Amino acid sequence: MVSKDDVRAMDEELFTVIIGGQAGQGVKKAGEAVSKFFLEKGRYVFEMDDYQSLIRGGHNFASVSSSTEELFSHHMRADVVVNLDKTSYEMHKKNLTPDGLNFYNSDEIENGEGIGLPLTSMSKEFQRPQLIMGVTGIAVLAAVVGENKDSLVSLVNSVYPRGKEDNTAFSKLVYDEVLDKVGSTLDLKEGDCRNRMFPGNHVIALGAASAGLDIYFAYPMTPASSILHFYASHGDKLGVTAVHPESEIAVANMAIGATIAGARSMVGTSGGGFALMAEAFSLAGMVESPVLFVLSSRPGPATGVPTYTEQGDLGFALHQGHGDFPRIVASPGYMEEAFYLTADMLSLLWKYQTPGIILTEKHLSESSMCMDVDPSKVRTVDPRMHEEDTGYKRYLFTEDGVSPLTFPPSKEAIKWNGEEHDEYGLTTSRSEEVAAMHDKRYMKEKAILEELKDRHTVNVYGSGENVIFTYGSTTLSVREALRCSGIEAKVVQPIYLRPLPTWELKKHVEGRSIVVEQSVAQQFSTLLEDKIGLEPTSVIKRYDGRPFDPMDLAGKIKEAIR
Amino acid sequence: MSGDLDTGAEITWCTGCGNFGILAAVKKAVKKLEENGIQREDIVISTGIGCHGKIFDYLDLSGIYSLHGREVASAEGIKLGNPDLKIIAFGGDGDCYGEGLAHLLFAAKRNIDITVIVHNNGAYALTTGQASPTSPKGFKGPATPMGSVEPPIEPIGLLLSAGASFVARGYAGKVKHMSDLIVQAVEHPGFAHIDVVQPSVVFTDYYEEYNDLVDELEDTRSTKFEAMELARESDRLPIGVFYREERPTYNEELLGERNPVKDRLSDEKRLKEIRSFLDV
Repeated sequence: MVSKDDVRAMDEELFTVIIGGQAGQGVKKAGEAVSKFFLEKGRYVFEMDDYQSLIRGGHNFASVSSSTEELFSHHMRADVVVNLDKTSYEMHKKNLTPDGLNFYNSDEIENGEGIGLPLTSMSKEFQRPQLIMGVTGIAVLAAVVGENKDSLVSLVNSVYPRGKEDNTAFSKLVYDEVLDKVGSTLDLKEGDCRNRMFPGNHVIALGAASAGLDIYFAYPMTPASSILHFYASHGDKLGVTAVHPESEIAVANMAIGATIAGARSMVGTSGGGFALMAEAFSLAGMVESPVLFVLSSRPGPATGVPTYTEQGDLGFALHQGHGDFPRIVASPGYMEEAFYLTADMLSLLWKYQTPGIILTEKHLSESSMCMDVDPSKVRTVDPRMHEEDTGYKRYLFTEDGVSPLTFPPSKEAIKWNGEEHDEYGLTTSRSEEVAAMHDKRYMKEKAILEELKDRHTVNVYGSGENVIFTYGSTTLSVREALRCSGIEAKVVQPIYLRPLPTWELKKHVEGRSIVVEQSVAQQFSTLLEDKIGLEPTSVIKRYDGRPFDPMDLAGKIKEAIR
Repeated sequence: MSGDLDTGAEITWCTGCGNFGILAAVKKAVKKLEENGIQREDIVISTGIGCHGKIFDYLDLSGIYSLHGREVASAEGIKLGNPDLKIIAFGGDGDCYGEGLAHLLFAAKRNIDITVIVHNNGAYALTTGQASPTSPKGFKGPATPMGSVEPPIEPIGLLLSAGASFVARGYAGKVKHMSDLIVQAVEHPGFAHIDVVQPSVVFTDYYEEYNDLVDELEDTRSTKFEAMELARESDRLPIGVFYREERPTYNEELLGERNPVKDRLSDEKRLKEIRSFLDV
C-alpha cells in the first residue's frame, strides 16, 4: 500500500489554504477572498467549497490551491489552515503539509497544536462578531506571506462591501496578531496568469447564453441552483429569461412548450429533479423537441447527500426516459470545455431536434477555477427551417430523419404530437406508420453518430503505457494527480457518453488500463467494458461525496501501475 | 389551415359524446375570435391525454398533444416563448384536476394569460370508466365496484381559491353558450378557466338530468365568495361566467415588453455582454 506521504507534490509553487468554520461564519466568502488574493498575484487558482445542507452551524470549509503553473484541482494538504472553530481544528489537523501553519481560536482551544489567535475576544468589541470572523482567513494569509497591510485593506474592501469598516478593522487586528506571533515566514511567488476564475455553473450558463439561449427553466436543487440564480440576476443583459415554476415536471414540460414557440430552452437540476423529468424527457424525444437538460450530480440515491459530489447518475442519464429515441449525453472535463460544450450542445440539439443532457457533478458545478474562453469561437448552427408557403408537415420524412421546423404564427397547422403520429403530426396506431416514424427518429440517431465521427469527441492528455480512463469532473482530479506527482500516464476522457465515441476510445485499449470514477457500482467502467470491451487492471473509485484529493489519488494510481 | 378547421382525421368519440359539443363550440369560437381580430394562426392549443385529448387531432390548429396532466405546463411554456400567441389548453377531469392539478392551480395563481377548458365528464372514460376527481361519492367503476368512497372536488371554488381571474362553467349540450364563454375566456387578459360539464354516453350519461338542471347566469358574481356559493348549488346547474377580475398577468410581470423569440439580442450585442462578464 502506498500512503499519500510517499507521493510528494513536485510543484514547488503549489500553495494551499484551507479555512474551516461553521455555516454563518463566512467560510465561503473567506475562500473567495483568498482566491482573489492569489489571482491578484497572477497565480492560477482552484477553489473547492465543502459545505453542508444547513444554514447555521455544522462544518464548512473552503480549500483554495494555487500555483504559478496551470492547476486542475484543489488539494487537501494545506500550507496554511485557518480554523474558525473547534470542529474545524479537530478535523483539519491532518490536512497540514509538514511545514504547514495551523491557526486556531485560542479562546476555544487551550494549548492547541499550531498558532493560537484569541479570535473570540478580539472580535468581542465588534457589533456582529460571528459575521466578521471569516475575514480571519485572508488576514492570516496576507500576514504569513508578507503582504503589506494596505493591500490587505483594499482586498477586504472589495470582497466585503457590506460591513466594510468592521471587516477592515478586524482584519488589521488579526494581521498584527499573526505578524507578532509568527511573522512572515512563507514565500509566495507571483505568476503570469491573467485569467478570471468562475464557478462551473456560471460557465455553463454563459456557454448556453453565447449560443443564443432564450429561456432557462428550473426548480431549485443543489448543486444546479446557481445556474438559475445566475440567469435570474444577469439574464436581462444576456437576453435569457429565468423561470422558476412549481415543480421539475412543470419545468421540463414548459421548456418543451417554449421550443414549440421557437425559443431555445434549457433546464437544470440534480438527480431527484431529473427523475421527475423522466416522462417529459421521453415526450421531448417523441415530439422532437430540442430541450437541453443540465444534470448536476450529487450523491444518491434519493435525497442522498445534497451538497456533495458523485458520479452515480451516469447510467440514469444514458437511459433517461421510456421508449426508443435519440439523445445526446455529454460531460465536460474542465471549465473551458463546460463553456464550449454547453453552447455546442444547444446547437446540436436544434440541428437534430432531440433532447440532450449536459452531465456534470457538484465538483465542477460549484468549484471555481481560472478560465479563458472566447465567446466568438462558439459555433452556432441554425436549425433546418421550412421555407415554402405550403405543404408543411411537422414530421416530414427526409433522408436523415430531420424534418424542417416552423413556428407559430403559421398559416399551416404545426402539430407536435406525443402520441405516435403521421407526417402531419396526427395520431396514428397503424402498424406501417408506427414503424416508419420509429425509423425516422432512429435515422437521426445514425446522423448524430456520423456527425460525432467528424468531431473532437475524446480528450487525451499525456502519454505512456499506462492508460487512465475517466470522465467529467474526475478528469480534473486525475490531471492534477499526474501533474503534481510526475507519474507518466495517458489520460483518456470521452466528452460524449451517448453516443459513446467507441471508434476513438478503442484506439486507447492497450497495455495497462485504469479507470478512475466516483461511483461505487463503477458505472463508467461497466460502460467501457460493454461498449469497447475494456478490461481494466484496476478501478479507482471514491464514493463518500468528496472529490479525490490529487495526492491521495496519485498514490492510488502509483500503486495500480506498480 | 382548412376553412372549417377540420383535419380530416377520423373522429373516434362515441356517438352522442359531449366532446362533439365542445369541438363545435371551439370551432364557432375561433370564427368569432377571427371576426374580433384574433387570427387563427395566433391560436395555439395543447391537450392532455384522455378522451378530451383527441380534440388535438380534430382541430386544424397548431399545438402539442402533451402528456397526461401536463397540457397546462405545455401551454405556459408556449406562452412564455411567444407571449403574442393565444393559448388554449384542453384537459380532462382526471387529467387536469387529478394528475396535473398542481400546474392548473399555479397557472391560476400566477395569472398567466392562457385559457384552460376542462372536459369534465366525471369519469376516466378512455380507460374504461374509473372514478375521477369529480365523480360523486358512491360512483361505481371498474376500480370502485362497490362505489367510490371519496367525495368529489368542486372545481370552480378550487380555481377561485387559487386566484383564477376568470372562472366559468359551460355545458356540452349548449354549444352556442359555451362558444361565447370560450370567446370571452380567450379575450380575457389573464388566466381563464372553463369547466365544461360534459356527459359521457357510456359512463356518465346524464343528459336528461343536466338539461333539466342547467340555468344560464345573467351576471357574474361580484365577489369570489358569492361565486363559490353559486358553484355549490345542487338544485340547479348554473352555467356562465361565475367571476372575473383584471390583474397583472404573469407573462407581463416576468417579461415586461420583451418577447423572447421576437426580441432576441443581436449576436454582436450578446457577445459584447458575455465578454463583459468574462473580462471584468
